[in-house]
Amino acid sequence: MQKSIVNPRKPARRSAWRTLVQYRTLIFMCLPAIIFFFIFSYMPMPGAYIAFTNFQYNKGIFASPFVGLKNFQFLFISGQLGLLLRNTVLYNIAFIVLGNVVQLAFAILLNEVTNKIYKKSAQSIMFLPYFISDVLVSLLVYNLLNFDFGFVSHIVRSLGGEMPKVYQNAGAWPFIIVLVNLWKSTGYGTVVYFAAITGMDSSMMEAAQIDGANAWQRIKYITLPTLKPTVIILFLFAIGGILKGNFGLFYNLVGNNAMLFNTTDIIETYVYRSMMNSFNFSQSSAVGLFQSVVGFFIVLGANAFVKHLDPDYALF
Amino acid sequence: MKKLLAVFLAMVMLLGVVPALAEIDTSEHVKIVYLVTGDKPTNRTDEVLARINELLTEKVNAELEFRWIEWTDWQTQYNLALATQSGDIDLIGTATDWLDAWPNCQKGAFLPLSEEMLQTYAPQTWASVSEAHWNLCKYNGEIYLMPEDNYAQWTNHGFMYRQDWAREAGLENGVHSWADLAVYFQYIKDNKPDVIPWDANGNGSSYSPQMAGGWQTSHTGNIAIEGFPVAIFYGESKDNPYTLSRYYLEGDELVNFAKEMKKWADAGYWRADVLNYTGDVVAEMEEGKTGAHQHHTQTWTGERTTMERKQPGSDLGFFWFGEETGNLIALNITHGAMAVAAQSKHPERALMVYDLMRNDPEIYRLMQYGFEGEMYTVEDGKFSRPEGFEDSVDGVSFNFWWGRNDNLEYKNAQLDWDAIDAMYATYDQVKIDYPYGQYIYDNSMVGVLMDNLSNVYNTYMPRIVFGMNDDPEALVAEFRAALQSAGIEMVMEEIQNQLNAVYAK
Repeated sequence: MQKSIVNPRKPARRSAWRTLVQYRTLIFMCLPAIIFFFIFSYMPMPGAYIAFTNFQYNKGIFASPFVGLKNFQFLFISGQLGLLLRNTVLYNIAFIVLGNVVQLAFAILLNEVTNKIYKKSAQSIMFLPYFISDVLVSLLVYNLLNFDFGFVSHIVRSLGGEMPKVYQNAGAWPFIIVLVNLWKSTGYGTVVYFAAITGMDSSMMEAAQIDGANAWQRIKYITLPTLKPTVIILFLFAIGGILKGNFGLFYNLVGNNAMLFNTTDIIETYVYRSMMNSFNFSQSSAVGLFQSVVGFFIVLGANAFVKHLDPDYALF
Repeated sequence: MKKLLAVFLAMVMLLGVVPALAEIDTSEHVKIVYLVTGDKPTNRTDEVLARINELLTEKVNAELEFRWIEWTDWQTQYNLALATQSGDIDLIGTATDWLDAWPNCQKGAFLPLSEEMLQTYAPQTWASVSEAHWNLCKYNGEIYLMPEDNYAQWTNHGFMYRQDWAREAGLENGVHSWADLAVYFQYIKDNKPDVIPWDANGNGSSYSPQMAGGWQTSHTGNIAIEGFPVAIFYGESKDNPYTLSRYYLEGDELVNFAKEMKKWADAGYWRADVLNYTGDVVAEMEEGKTGAHQHHTQTWTGERTTMERKQPGSDLGFFWFGEETGNLIALNITHGAMAVAAQSKHPERALMVYDLMRNDPEIYRLMQYGFEGEMYTVEDGKFSRPEGFEDSVDGVSFNFWWGRNDNLEYKNAQLDWDAIDAMYATYDQVKIDYPYGQYIYDNSMVGVLMDNLSNVYNTYMPRIVFGMNDDPEALVAEFRAALQSAGIEMVMEEIQNQLNAVYAK
């Protein structure tokens, strides 16, 4: 009697413990990341309750009056949600697709380069823009493109051309923003893919070379298929944030220039402008919560889809 | 008998105050943190502060410490500091027009100040502010602000311009209307190739309300009501102040404004990329690279002297919005005020420190002018700086705009008081008192709609103000339609009801 109750549990418990012991070194290596996410992602979670309150400074989050879903109304009755969703999602798709394609291409090209010095310096120079703050980027772009005194304007004029008024032309900005984002993120992503390529089993390459495969064939039949899991994982990570925009980039490049909002306004910048005046934490948190919950379900959906295609590539 | 009782009660109350004063316990030395807007000074402020702290320690066993809200992104940083307070700030410099005092008050950022507290811990301030003025500082029957109500200044906006260039442009008497301003700008455009007539930081969000409101003030009798997140709520006129104006919803004047600004934009009075420009436009004016600066009278009084030094003969003039129609509202007394932080651990001592900052001649003048003899001298009630004095190096910056006191002020001998007094005299002839001092907007009913309106305004108004459009008339129509669909009628109805509740006879 006793045995039948205790016994089925014991092995399960032991195996979990055993797993911990067995992989203690790996888990220990993960510890910084686990602590990081615990402190910065899990601990603040109860604070999301602020989205359902009318926040009072002197009462704090949990003692402020509860108002239900009132704070969520703001985004939906603004009449802007369609435009904002369109911009946010399209920019993110452009960033994810173009970004990954370009990063992949550069990583493969770098891998084919044999000159070590060139390879290292190219990598560093490509990585550099990643560290430049968006504020500086916006100044660079302004000084290149502004109509009266911009660098590009000077060149165009000295060549006898007519400089378009870029800062009044909403149509130009999707290209500029995507380009700037590529410039900033390519180096970083390239290094990730490059690391994955370096980690490949070199015997496959050697075998292919002996069998007479040319560079293009090696890339097509060996490098790309080997990178597939990395691509899928990065894609799954990225897609969860598809409703979230890079506020720093958009806000600094566009600022309060209402001429450009039609093609550049994303959820973050809209919320920021609306909330700047009323300084309403509850409403901005409501929007953030909405983005996160939708993002969460998109990740679940995408993961289920990948799992359906090939269970090995799914995140969980 | 009743009278006797009343006298007796009054005496008890008076007596109640006196022993309380004697009983204040200041045995613990405390640090009072003072939240103030401004860039952290690099001049002799710390030296002066050390001296003031000696005096404060001696008098109330407390010392003062600054917490600066630097000008970069100050609106956000200021509100954030108030929202995240945890006993780390005690005194808060605030204002009902430019620092969101009432919204912050409604969100619980400030401590209500009971009459007993004020009488006990800030007796000089309590006595110097009239009952009528204290009433303007109340929300839900409680006092939250200590107003700067004994300091003469004007912060009405307008354009500073160079009278030397205006005279060259044929404007013998200077610029006194938007039409004159256009003549002035066109002259600069035609005759000074390296000068931008008006270089503006269009990236900032404050230009829209200032320019649009400026035109409105100059062309209608409308009066701006303070304390809204969007500057589109105006009273009809001084004879009918408690009816909301429909200026932004109908009528030709906004269309005329849009058309005129479109003309100015096309004529090149500002740079084509004005909406993204963030340069230091005051420095540009001082270097002679731009011909005008849009700000308020108080700025002009100081800038006139600076300009005379850097651009001799510039004879900086000031065209004030509303000059054509004589539409001018005197400064609201809560344009500057001090509040005590809701979470302050030492509110009593904070009040005692404030009382001294505002009323103690020695401390006040140290804050405002620095060490006498060394940093300034006084003659005929006016102060002068020594030769070669540079404010950014040798001066003192307490940015104490929350309780300046004319009883203790010295006029600056270096300012051009003939010009300033003449301007003030003109103002005094036409000004009326701010009619909405008793009214505090309650955002709880239509807050969501207000955020919508705010966004509509910020989307359209910069394009109207800086003429960034092909068809101003169509843009105004579009703006008005957007206001309608964002719920302007409901918001105006709510505000009108709130106004009626306060001002119904």
